[in-house]
Amino acid sequence: MARTPKVGVYICHCGINIAHTVDVEEVAGFAGRLPHVAVARHYTYMCSDPGQNLIKQDIEELGLTHVVVAACSPLMHETTFRLACQEKGLNPYQFEMANIREQCSWVHAAGPETTEKAKQLVASGVSKAILLEPLAEREAEVTPAALVIGGGVAGIHAALDIADAGFRVVLVERGPALGGRAMQLHKTFPTLEPVAGLIAPLIARLLGHPRIEVLTEAEVTEVSGYYGNFEIEVAIRNPQSAICNLQVGAIIVATGYDLFDPTALPEFGYGQYPEVITGMEFERLAAGGEITVNGKTPQDVVFIHCVGSRDAHRALPYCSRVCCMVTARQAHEIQQRLPEANVTVLYMDVRAFGKGFEEFYDEVRREGVLYRRANPSEIIRRGDKLIVRAEDTLLGEAVELPADLVVLAVGMTPRADTEKLAALLRLSRSPDGFFMEAHPKLRPVDTATGGVFLAGCCQGPKDIPDTIAQARAAAAAAMVPLMRGKVKVEAAVAFVEEELCAGCGVCAELCTYGALALHPVRGVMTVNPVLCQGCGACAMACPSGAMNLHHFTFDQVMAQVDTLVGHLS
Amino acid sequence: MQTTIAVENSDALAALRGFLKSLLEKGAVDALMVPLRARGGAVMPALVSDPALLDEADPLPPVLAINGARLVGALSIRPPRGRIGAVLRACEIRALIELVKLQQASLEDLLIIGLDCAGTYTQTDYAKMIQAAPEAEHWRKLYADPLAERPLRDACRMCERPLPENANIVVQLLEADLDVGIPVTLPDELGERLGLTPGASARRGEVAEKLIADRTATRDAVFAEIRQQLSSPEGLAELFATCIRCHNCMVNCPICYCKTCLFRTPAFDHEPAQYMTWAMRKGATRLPSDTLLFHLTRLNHMSTSCVGCGMCTDACPSEIPVGRVFRAVGEKTQAIFEYVPGRSVEEPLPVTTFREEELAEVAIP
Repeated sequence: MARTPKVGVYICHCGINIAHTVDVEEVAGFAGRLPHVAVARHYTYMCSDPGQNLIKQDIEELGLTHVVVAACSPLMHETTFRLACQEKGLNPYQFEMANIREQCSWVHAAGPETTEKAKQLVASGVSKAILLEPLAEREAEVTPAALVIGGGVAGIHAALDIADAGFRVVLVERGPALGGRAMQLHKTFPTLEPVAGLIAPLIARLLGHPRIEVLTEAEVTEVSGYYGNFEIEVAIRNPQSAICNLQVGAIIVATGYDLFDPTALPEFGYGQYPEVITGMEFERLAAGGEITVNGKTPQDVVFIHCVGSRDAHRALPYCSRVCCMVTARQAHEIQQRLPEANVTVLYMDVRAFGKGFEEFYDEVRREGVLYRRANPSEIIRRGDKLIVRAEDTLLGEAVELPADLVVLAVGMTPRADTEKLAALLRLSRSPDGFFMEAHPKLRPVDTATGGVFLAGCCQGPKDIPDTIAQARAAAAAAMVPLMRGKVKVEAAVAFVEEELCAGCGVCAELCTYGALALHPVRGVMTVNPVLCQGCGACAMACPSGAMNLHHFTFDQVMAQVDTLVGHLS
Repeated sequence: MQTTIAVENSDALAALRGFLKSLLEKGAVDALMVPLRARGGAVMPALVSDPALLDEADPLPPVLAINGARLVGALSIRPPRGRIGAVLRACEIRALIELVKLQQASLEDLLIIGLDCAGTYTQTDYAKMIQAAPEAEHWRKLYADPLAERPLRDACRMCERPLPENANIVVQLLEADLDVGIPVTLPDELGERLGLTPGASARRGEVAEKLIADRTATRDAVFAEIRQQLSSPEGLAELFATCIRCHNCMVNCPICYCKTCLFRTPAFDHEPAQYMTWAMRKGATRLPSDTLLFHLTRLNHMSTSCVGCGMCTDACPSEIPVGRVFRAVGEKTQAIFEYVPGRSVEEPLPVTTFREEELAEVAIP
């Protein structure tokens, strides 16, 4: 039975964030006079325990049917207040938030107009709230297995953690071998341990794990299904090529990175002079015994930082984070193994921000490696030497450095086929081209697609410990649904009023999540409520209003608009 | 194949009927949708399966009672559907192409027979005209001299696409000596099946070009005038001031495909108190309410697909130039997406396409 709505309205001061600009007392007084509002209060921090208790107490004592909190963005505290309502038996979807911080107090100067806007936002929230209906939060069963895409350091760690926790893991690696980029590295920084020695035991453990299936020379070719129940098609491309179908509950993407191709910057002569190599090529040179160039021991070695990095016009705008320390370690290696050599590092800045990094950098300089802040312009050949021409940006003068070996510290780039995988998994990419996390601060391992998590350099450049940290975090996040065996399904999803639907299919074409399909017999649209993420694109496009969104129905949104417009005229 | 259907005794209509009959008799289609003369003389579309009844078929009278695209939609929207031939004018085919993209019609097993159109009269005008002179005279005059100034339907006078696009069979009526023969273009296979032999190609030339140029000029003059009116909120309100919210424009629009228009659902049944609130707040509130919102919503929903058939204007009891508004606004919205309604079934609807750079420039007057 529908009851007459009884709304509680709570205006948050957010310390001074709102109260400094908005007259919260006046807004509360105004809200108290709105139709159907039983109580209106204001408080320093509504999200604090005492703040939440105000709501809980009123639900209990006054029998509130709906709650409106005017505070920050719902992204911040909607869940907080929904849980508070739920605790006192109110359906969490009978709660509405009015954003008077980001959309009001933070963007306007203090004054009556700002207070007036806050009132409008509150009134509009109340208009919607009284129309809110309880929605049932549903759950879907979860397939207790995970897919890890990529067999590098990130993929291996994530797979091991999930398998150790008792779940089946399928690791799909495109190449023939495991270990990824790390296996191409000589030593770690700043700890100087041989990388292969660290990774090999992990690979052995992975291959011997009873719950891990490793598919090498294999690629994910299709992904369907949804959070908790993904259907995966993997194409194995070795001599016994085959198609393999998997069911998993969660997916970890750990596809790594490519390297910036320095031929894009012809002034460095990479590909032209054999003495010019990339940092990654130096790793192989260093791992292979004697360090020689053209059969001779190099006397003058020049390292160049930031090749292709921090250069928005010609190459990559971002910093790849690891190259400074990789270069320091490589310069150290030359200095140790060829004590007679002159080692110079040309840098823009040195970013030695990690644990032990600055100390290592200091040590390398003490050993005799010369760091020059310089802007290299070109590399030319003069006799049997290369000459690195640069501008010393501290001295403000042009310099020429002879070199037998030049090492270019090239940055990391997204994998060339990132877009293909992004399309398969419905992932977004950040402006730098790497996969985008769900929130840059608060959700660094999640993606916008439920059940898909990011690990390692596919999300952005990072070193080995950061990669492992993210991989293990992604594994932990992926295990939450696997352990629970159920995932919550968004209740505010699309629904169809079949008698209005003409089956034009426009909404289905717009649906990013593949949640809509035309019923083959009835010719009307159907919603898969597990796939639907409640974005509302379908409801926006539907001309007849047949497609609607729970919690944001046409009537609810129109009531908000009517109220806002009413205040304006 | 290009061929010419021979006309005997200067009776082009009989020749055309004969050609349509052969489509049924030779099994090219199971039924034909064609304007048929009913009792009392009215000509309305019918689905004809009996070749003998095609003696009453008459697609030539210059009058358009209804845009046939919706009718073809009803006949083809889902299987099982028969093999149907549909005799349509250019604007009807354009509307049909839009409906196919909106999944409200199908081109499967459909044979489109497109007629050159020299323009049509409103039903009321035409009813008076045939009192004054025998019917055949009107279409004869029209095709013989399509460039003469005539009181055609508003939409026809500014129609710059009178020639059928996307038709399987094109019946050329412009610039043809209809006393001698009707030039027809059709697929070779079909031509052979009908026992036709390829003939000289009859080219459209100067007259069609001039017709299109004249109508484009009329259109541009109309656009300039209507845009002047639409340039202010008051002008917009004035244009629709006499709207009685009968929804006839929507009902007769071939593109408006919703089963029930949003404006006919309870979403727009306001509480009595709501009207009172509006009246109190603004001093007065217009009744019936939501008329401007209705037209703006319809522009928003379908102006990108407006094919300019003008059925909306004909249907308006208040004589609001609805079609002019839709064409003028449609030209702009279509241009944003480089979209031409009715041009191709392959061309995706603007609403379903996304370009990263779209709508980057918003003009703020």
